[in-house]
Amino acid sequence: MRPLFSGDGITKTPNQPTECKITGDVHKSGCRRQVMDSMLEAAIWFWIPLCMIPLGMWLSISGISKKPGLILSLIGFFLVLISAWTVPSSDSSAAGHLLLSILAPSLLLAYGIHGMVFGGNVPVGKLDSTARWSGAIAVAISIIILCLMHWYNFTPLWRDGQINPYWIVFWPTFLLFSTALCSTAAIALAGFGDNRGSEAMKLALLSVLMLGIAISAMLFDGYLTTADEFREYLWLASADIFGTFVGAGSAIGAFALVIWSYEKSLPAPGNSPPPSDDEIKHVVALANTHIGGEEE
Amino acid sequence: MREPTASWKLLILAALLPILILITIDIAIGGGSHPESFKRFGNAILTSYVVMGILLLGNLFFYADSRHRPFSPLVGMIVAIAFGVAISYILVSNDDLLLEANSGVRAQMLSNIVHLLVSGTAMLLAALLAVGTTFAAITGRKRRVLFEEEE
Repeated sequence: MRPLFSGDGITKTPNQPTECKITGDVHKSGCRRQVMDSMLEAAIWFWIPLCMIPLGMWLSISGISKKPGLILSLIGFFLVLISAWTVPSSDSSAAGHLLLSILAPSLLLAYGIHGMVFGGNVPVGKLDSTARWSGAIAVAISIIILCLMHWYNFTPLWRDGQINPYWIVFWPTFLLFSTALCSTAAIALAGFGDNRGSEAMKLALLSVLMLGIAISAMLFDGYLTTADEFREYLWLASADIFGTFVGAGSAIGAFALVIWSYEKSLPAPGNSPPPSDDEIKHVVALANTHIGGEEE
Repeated sequence: MREPTASWKLLILAALLPILILITIDIAIGGGSHPESFKRFGNAILTSYVVMGILLLGNLFFYADSRHRPFSPLVGMIVAIAFGVAISYILVSNDDLLLEANSGVRAQMLSNIVHLLVSGTAMLLAALLAVGTTFAAITGRKRRVLFEEEE
């Protein structure tokens, strides 16, 4: 059930010697070549496209090359999505397969949220008021599809009809994080907002709904996963969320420290010399061209 | 306008409470201990530190543009990332400390990156749902007339 990662080479069970070691020196070179080939395939069809996504976004956002950057990101994303077919031997391709599996409910969710937000009272980009209802239905359907992926036969299958190992990583993380964020948003609206009780209640209800889905998954077996497995992965998802935040926070802290120490090492800027006569004359001439005119 | 009644402590509690409820339920129904989650926690910290560090390194180029391209912050950030990579390598290769069900150090490190991709996507999608619903709730209220002149 746990994602067994063989480093994009030969699949093996944990704490077992690799296939190359078992076969001995006779087939060593052939085995090495096979491992190298699978590594190269994984690099070309998964890892390089994965690196292309942030690189393209960086090029696009920085303004160095907006359109090519965007195209680079999209090509990279597309190649990652189809990596289960382009490089089926790679364990990493399970992540691409999962992203492809959840693409439809994710797009539906984004469409629904867009309709719900811009169907309301917004100063710009206002949609028809029916967009709120269609958006709410789209969001509900996307959550139902995700639930069906756990409890019905929509579960993403990867190799040999086995469940995608990253589905059981994604699902508890999504449920935990959404219930925590909705709960925080509800308290923030009620506490910081002015007369926002009804809005806070809606968010609290959504948080309770996500919590209810998580509790149901803890109690009832999924289509291909058991409740025990879900409960185990719930702990791992909690560890993942906290770990990710602590790690990202530490990186931001290191970044701030680097900038601060550099700025601190800079000498204080000296006073600039007073303007020369020529500079004063130039400024006065400029000012004279802008002063005057008829009174309104 | 009334005084805000929420505080950062309350918000953190609101974020933690649902997770604590789920974990309490798991313990109550005999979940037992999960030593693997400590490994996962350690791997998540180190991976997100390194990946976030690399993203911030890209951000340093914007900073460098406004400071006549100094070299020292760039080197400082590369050292900080290298430190994270070195710590990851040492801890993963140290017997059974951070190595999960993977075949070796390289496999574990690649697995960590893929794991971060999946859990990051889950968190991003959850954030889209929560933030989007918050804005939908805010914009859903009928427009109030604050001043008579508005009508």
